[in-house]
Amino acid sequence: MLLQVAGFEFRYQLRQPLFWIVSAILFALAMVITGVGSITIGSAGGVHRNSPDLVNQLHLVFSIFFMFAGTAFVAGSVLKDDETGFAPILRTTRLTKFDYLYGRFVGAFAVVCVCFLGVTIASLLGGMAFWLDPDLKGPFLPGAYVYGYLVMGLPNVFFTSAAFFTLSTVTRSMGWTFVGVIAFLVLYAITSIAVSQPDLAPIVARWEPFGSGAYDFVTRYWTVAERNSLDPPVIGVLLFNRIFVFLLGAGFLALAYPLSRLQAVGLKSNLAPRAPLPAEQPARPAILRPSAPPAHGAGAAQMMERTRFDMAHVFKSVAFWAILTLGMANAIAILWQITSDDRYGAAVWPVTRILIPALEGGFVIFPMIIAGYFAGDLVWRDRDRRMHEIIDATPAPDWTFVLPKIAAVTLVLWATLLASVAAAVGLQISKGYTDFEPWKYLVWYFVPHAVDFAALAILAVFFQVLSPNKFVGWGVLLVWFVGVLTLPRVGWEHGLLFYGSPFQSRMPLSDMNGLGSFWIGPWCLRLYDAGLGLLLVALSYGLWRRGTEIRYAPRFQRLPIRLRGPAGVMAGVGLVTALGAGAFVLVNTNVWNSYRTRANNEAFLADYERALAGYQAVPQPSVTAVRLTVNIDPHRRWLETKGVYVLENRTGHTLYEAHVRFARDLVVCALSVQDARVKTAIDPRFNYRIFTFDSPMLPGEKRTLSFTTEVAQRGFRNRDNLTSVVDNGTFVNSEEIAPVIGMSGDMLLRDHAARWRQGLKYDLHPPALNENPAARQTSYIGHVGWTTADITVTTDADQTPIAPGYKVSDVTQGGRRTAHFVTEGPILQFFSVQSARYLVKTQRYKGVDLSVYYDPHHPYNVERMQTALKASLDYYQANFSPYQFRQARVVEFPDYARFAQSFAGTFPWSEGLGFIADYRDPEKIDMVTYIAAHEFAHQWWAHQIVGADQQGATSLSETLAQYSALRVMRNLYGPDKIRKFLKFELDSYLRARGGAAVEEQPLYEVESDQGYVHYRKGSLVMYRLADEIGEDKVNAALRSLLAKYAFKGAPYPTSFDLIAALRAQAPADKQQLITDLFEMRTLYDVKTTATSSRRRPDGRYDVTLTVSAAKVYADGKGKELRTPMAEDLWVGLFDAKPGSGKFGPKDVIALEKRPIHTGVQTLSFVASRAPTWGGADPYNELIDRNSDDNLMAVK
Amino acid sequence: MHCGSVGKFTPKAVTDAMLIIENLTHVYPGGVKALDEVSLTVPRGMFGLLGPNGAGKSTLMRTIATLQAPTSGFIRFDDIDVLKNPEALRRTLGYLPQDFGVYPRVTAQDMLDHMAVLKGFAKAGERRELVEGLLQQVNLWQHRKKALAGFSGGMRQRFGIAQALIGAPSLIIVDEPTAGLDPEERQRFLNLLSEIGENMVVILSTHIVADVADLCPRMAIIAGGKIVREGAPQALMTSLDGRVWVKTVDKADVAQLSKRHEVISTRLFAGRTMVHVLADKDPGEGFAPIAGGLEDVYFSTLAAQAVAA
Repeated sequence: MLLQVAGFEFRYQLRQPLFWIVSAILFALAMVITGVGSITIGSAGGVHRNSPDLVNQLHLVFSIFFMFAGTAFVAGSVLKDDETGFAPILRTTRLTKFDYLYGRFVGAFAVVCVCFLGVTIASLLGGMAFWLDPDLKGPFLPGAYVYGYLVMGLPNVFFTSAAFFTLSTVTRSMGWTFVGVIAFLVLYAITSIAVSQPDLAPIVARWEPFGSGAYDFVTRYWTVAERNSLDPPVIGVLLFNRIFVFLLGAGFLALAYPLSRLQAVGLKSNLAPRAPLPAEQPARPAILRPSAPPAHGAGAAQMMERTRFDMAHVFKSVAFWAILTLGMANAIAILWQITSDDRYGAAVWPVTRILIPALEGGFVIFPMIIAGYFAGDLVWRDRDRRMHEIIDATPAPDWTFVLPKIAAVTLVLWATLLASVAAAVGLQISKGYTDFEPWKYLVWYFVPHAVDFAALAILAVFFQVLSPNKFVGWGVLLVWFVGVLTLPRVGWEHGLLFYGSPFQSRMPLSDMNGLGSFWIGPWCLRLYDAGLGLLLVALSYGLWRRGTEIRYAPRFQRLPIRLRGPAGVMAGVGLVTALGAGAFVLVNTNVWNSYRTRANNEAFLADYERALAGYQAVPQPSVTAVRLTVNIDPHRRWLETKGVYVLENRTGHTLYEAHVRFARDLVVCALSVQDARVKTAIDPRFNYRIFTFDSPMLPGEKRTLSFTTEVAQRGFRNRDNLTSVVDNGTFVNSEEIAPVIGMSGDMLLRDHAARWRQGLKYDLHPPALNENPAARQTSYIGHVGWTTADITVTTDADQTPIAPGYKVSDVTQGGRRTAHFVTEGPILQFFSVQSARYLVKTQRYKGVDLSVYYDPHHPYNVERMQTALKASLDYYQANFSPYQFRQARVVEFPDYARFAQSFAGTFPWSEGLGFIADYRDPEKIDMVTYIAAHEFAHQWWAHQIVGADQQGATSLSETLAQYSALRVMRNLYGPDKIRKFLKFELDSYLRARGGAAVEEQPLYEVESDQGYVHYRKGSLVMYRLADEIGEDKVNAALRSLLAKYAFKGAPYPTSFDLIAALRAQAPADKQQLITDLFEMRTLYDVKTTATSSRRRPDGRYDVTLTVSAAKVYADGKGKELRTPMAEDLWVGLFDAKPGSGKFGPKDVIALEKRPIHTGVQTLSFVASRAPTWGGADPYNELIDRNSDDNLMAVK
Repeated sequence: MHCGSVGKFTPKAVTDAMLIIENLTHVYPGGVKALDEVSLTVPRGMFGLLGPNGAGKSTLMRTIATLQAPTSGFIRFDDIDVLKNPEALRRTLGYLPQDFGVYPRVTAQDMLDHMAVLKGFAKAGERRELVEGLLQQVNLWQHRKKALAGFSGGMRQRFGIAQALIGAPSLIIVDEPTAGLDPEERQRFLNLLSEIGENMVVILSTHIVADVADLCPRMAIIAGGKIVREGAPQALMTSLDGRVWVKTVDKADVAQLSKRHEVISTRLFAGRTMVHVLADKDPGEGFAPIAGGLEDVYFSTLAAQAVAA
């Protein structure tokens, strides 16, 4: 019987439209996600579109979202009987409850399995799509699809189907079942965030009910090569999880039998007490003669009443609260996360500026869902409830039907916006932050989104008016949403295409600069939206279905009649407004500025490379003196630079040409080179000029170059508005305002996928590492060398101008302030000019002025920065060489970019990084000090010695700055905090190398865009080296490097010089270590597999640790070659787990170096007390592929 | 808009005929002709529109109620050209559709209040009085705080008539209001209708003969989209005087009987079948004369229509 029931159910559901609609949507989504190369889920770049990894990720993600569809199938299989009224008939048959329940489930689940197969097929077809770049496709591996479906997908789908089937039999309501689904999703999301720390990963891997924890855990350090070819074996944690999930589902299913209340349904409806007949009314009027209503003037009241009525419907609806709860939970989780933990585990003050983008990212989508859902619900409500004949026969005018729907949806959305503001303010209060800025919430968040949401409500209602039923209306809106999200990725980026989209009109926020003038463009677009919105409202009114007529032809015939009068005026005003505003936007984005998309920016860079890359090798004169007059008008966003360079031929050869390169949008007003004229024939859009010397430039000869440039922007652009010259917080570097001599490759298109898209089918590499002095003629920083500078900056009187060098004069006159800066020693010809209204805190320390120029909004960490500068100055002067300047200036700039940078004695530092870090919890890693120490260290490692333009150059700057900062941190905080930091660096390195699209280089050949090597791995390498050969030896090597190269021009040093200096200091037995660290991609896998501890007669303990070890050399694609290992590693016994919060030096029972070789070995100790933890490499100094198994609890 | 044949309109005295329908035809997209040249004059008072299911009653009612436009034809109510100026008719219309649902979680009082706003009562105080009066009149006062969704069929219909009465309409259309009501509720509802039907045009569309017989001074029978009989029930019944004959037979004999006689209706009574036949003189075979009821008028008309069709 069960099988017959199942068979019937299966055939029945296959015939239902739901099955085909869901399958089609699922298939289309999966196809798009796999087949569009620019869309990624989980998997990193370089992973093939048909790789096992992508197939698995896709099945995992879809199995979560499939929950909604699967629930509709399984819950529908039992609830449909009640809805159709068929239940009483069914329940009087001889069908047993068991056969009924489980038969229906089996049938429905079979449908679910078939439907979910759509994901597998779509991923298979999408991954083979002919339009995909061949580089994104690997060999066809049929097993991967079977694995993805059976191992990743099915257990999850079974679990959710079973759980929500049972819930539906208990609640007997589709509505409450879906509330359950949403509640589960919310709980799941919150829990996922709560347990996202790496320490918990092994636990999450076991118990996470969708297996993505397990999958991520077992593949966390996989390289691209592995991800493209392998599925993780179904053993260990993964097997455990899959079985757990299956049993969880089976458990729920078993509960359905005892908990189901379905059997009672028929009885209930039969026995429901009949409503008692009313008793006669004593004071009943014989006949009512109600007065006739006034003929006119009720419209406003009807409008308000309808709006109130529809809003009440929304507010009473379970779906509204479910979606809002989900949104609020998501918003609060994201707000909490971004304020509790920046990338390095530091907390930040919950300032309004950072909360608003978080709400935009994590919350705004939920009101959009509410808008879409309830527009359909409300527009079709009268019809769905069969009230439309009564309602439509009333004298209420047509517009009191349309406008209230729009108004109700809009007002509901505004209420949700206010709720999200309340959540953000609540978060601020809960974190003890009391500087409330209601004005910012209003102007930066509420008002813009309120307008966008009104536009969205209009659109959603319009789609519903146009559609033959609400499902089509929802579908159309969904297509529109998908379009809004995906079109910009395929090159359709113009704001005019995206009516009402909150994503297209975001404004960059800064406490320093407020909205600046960045609000103008978005608000012009909103005016355009408002015009279109009016038009859509008029059309919605004109096409509104009233009565039982739903055909299109009569409604369209009626449209012109309805549009006579106010509606037509409204449509006209709307159209004129939209055309006017649209035209103004077009003038701004396409006439006054050139319209650019991500795609044509890429194309520009590709053309630039094709036209000019060949000039990189042309020898060029050096800039040896710079004189600039910089005139800034912040309010007009205009910056003029007049300058003179002294060019000197230091090449030793005769030069015939000077190549003068300007930033793409820099306006060149005047340009001349002494004794030279411009050779034409370079495309003017490249802003690149080649001068031919009238008489060739002889070695040692000097000539001048004079120029005038302007940085300005008229109106607004569609994207990439000018953020460097703004009202308060101007920050430009020398390449943005002045020419660079000679072509260099550092600004070319680097992204692997983008290069392929543009037909540049090879990766861009710097010149190979080469000791030959001829190959070391230019520095890796834009080919620039050492120069002197004389810079005069004029800005508004209330702003502080900043440029490299010492200030020799500072005059305010006629509302303008002019400061003159002159350098004493050589600086890199790469510097910054800044101007803003700053507070300044200066402290003189050991003859150096340590200053912080900051915005009054962010005083929190100014002292911490100065302390860090002091500690850095002490360590670097003691261990490296004297500091070359008498000043060090941290200068804040607006949050239009998030970085800190080091220029000569000057550190521009984003307000979005560190200025708002919150250190009330002393356990948090002190990133402010770390960044300050890193940037200060660059005064040696970049601003004293700078690498030649070759592979490995950044190991001389970034790696050494990391090392220096680590030493400063270690001195300030002790080794414990550093261990946490190293673990972070290790995990970052391992994850990034797994996702790298371009071959991983060993440290000594690192390329400048491989941050995971020169920062992350660099930290680990230098820390281990200092531990193995001694900090003093490393520093001695660095001193020798400085002595040889500081402030010297060509030939510039390479990483060979660094390695040679280190080898000179290291003993013979550490030479191989240096090779492993710098010249190889070395990975270890050390793990403790067993422990024992036994009390001896003398009261001490015999402890053994079983340790297995392996060491491999990886190639650039991640393929590994085993190599014998025989090294002395730290081995220790402890009272607490190293790295845990309570761990301290007192917990160390034994810590000593022991020889460890490849394979398994047992280490014996005699310990003074019984340890609870033990293991090899306990502090994670090695680059260990799995650093979580080094330690083990001792039993 | 499609306005039909304006030119054919011939004004009649408004005093004796308030609703005039001329040549109304409605063809649904599938080609189904729901109304076929319907012409009807409806005077003040209760007017019964009797017809079997699918005869076009609801299409006619909806068309009069401005909910759909006919393919052609003309409707006039007092001075209002209904098809040209539906808004004007709606101001004086009360409509109770054949089939209507309710919003969940809304009480009778709130819903009536909401309807009162839609009918143009903007002032809350005015509405409160109106709604309370209506609730009392239709005997729902003690249920006013109850959700409509929990109402019985009769209560729901009484709520329906209450909303139709808002705004002193001079035209009330009730479409199949007694279907599904138990006898007690049906009687209560008809009483209510009879009270209100004195000074306005009330069109009662139904397939239950007794509804019309009990209430309506004038009536029409609609079948196959056409008006096939029209007049006062009494006069129609008089036309059958001496022509209706009855006999009680076994069920098995009915088929034989219907071959020889013009059978109007058959009804089971105490296990046997009572057969009404139409004949100008005594058909013999033990038939007895019986006074023709409205039911006989109805069934004989339908039977004649079926033969004609």
